[in-house]
Amino acid sequence: MRTVKEPGSAHGGLSDWYWQRLSAVVLAFLLPLSFLLMLMVFSGAVDQQGLLDILDHVASRVLHTLLILALMVHAYMGLKVILEDYVHMLAWRIPLIATMLVLMSGFGIWWLALIWAWA
Amino acid sequence: MSKMITLSVFRYEPGKDEKPSMQTFEVPMLKPGMKLLDALNYIKWEIDGTLSYRRSCGEGVCGSDGLNINGVNGLACITPIEGLKQPIHVRPLPSMQVIRDLVVDMDHFFDQYRQIKPWLQAESPLPEHERLQSPEDRERLDGSYECILCGCCTTSCPSWWWNGDRFLGPAALLQANRWIVDSRDEATGDRLDQVEDAFRLYRCHQIMNCMDACPKDLNPTAAIGHIKRKLVSRKS
Repeated sequence: MRTVKEPGSAHGGLSDWYWQRLSAVVLAFLLPLSFLLMLMVFSGAVDQQGLLDILDHVASRVLHTLLILALMVHAYMGLKVILEDYVHMLAWRIPLIATMLVLMSGFGIWWLALIWAWA
Repeated sequence: MSKMITLSVFRYEPGKDEKPSMQTFEVPMLKPGMKLLDALNYIKWEIDGTLSYRRSCGEGVCGSDGLNINGVNGLACITPIEGLKQPIHVRPLPSMQVIRDLVVDMDHFFDQYRQIKPWLQAESPLPEHERLQSPEDRERLDGSYECILCGCCTTSCPSWWWNGDRFLGPAALLQANRWIVDSRDEATGDRLDQVEDAFRLYRCHQIMNCMDACPKDLNPTAAIGHIKRKLVSRKS
């Protein structure tokens, strides 16, 4: 008779999956806007002062903040899944995920500081 | 003289052979519509009796002869020779422990099937005759109950290759969903609890190799998507 080692369910995973999809929806709306802005700059439709005026506007700052938060959440969830898929040793996996979380949080906070001109 | 078919067949006997090898066989095209299993039978019966593979019903019902055929998983008994590029590369199901030649160890696969408790769980008293189901409720089981557990889907799934010890795989999850949607089953909550796990369920990244490989044209990816939607609706 074989002994089946059955660890059971950890009752998690739904929130990761949910946030990954929710952030994807936000990105689907907001990323094209940033590309549109870049296109307008490169085509000459908006000059430097015009670009600064757009970025300074409070609505732009709020949208920009949402974009960065969604980007960070989405990238973190995606990279975490990749690490979980391929890094099987817990002694590597957990420190790698933690390092990624710290680096990405730092990057996100720095970017938010730029948006809201804290720096 | 009948047309000849060339096959390149995986051979390995652990404990005896140092490493696996591919052996080439020439088999006559015995009849129109000849299936790959007929060619393997010919090799076994007429050329080399030591070739090992599983087979039983020979008509796509028992699920014994799941193999990797020219790189794609399928059942040898319902795969026509015509249309297969030659030499036909016949290998055991990917990522499985080989017992001998094309025979693989299916224990873990069936353990995972057992983990989803593939039987009716109901606490309400048994009716006098049987637990009835409306034709509409019965229809919801279409696309799930036809699964023959051949393992073609699960062994074609890269997520299962990397994390097969924890990810239940498409075949077990298709069956998990089969019991979740069954109107007679009363353990839906427990069933959802048992699969709500970053590895057991959420390792599925919708690669869709499973639906491509399924010899019964079932769609485990859709079933897994349905379980995920059930979990979201339970939470939100």
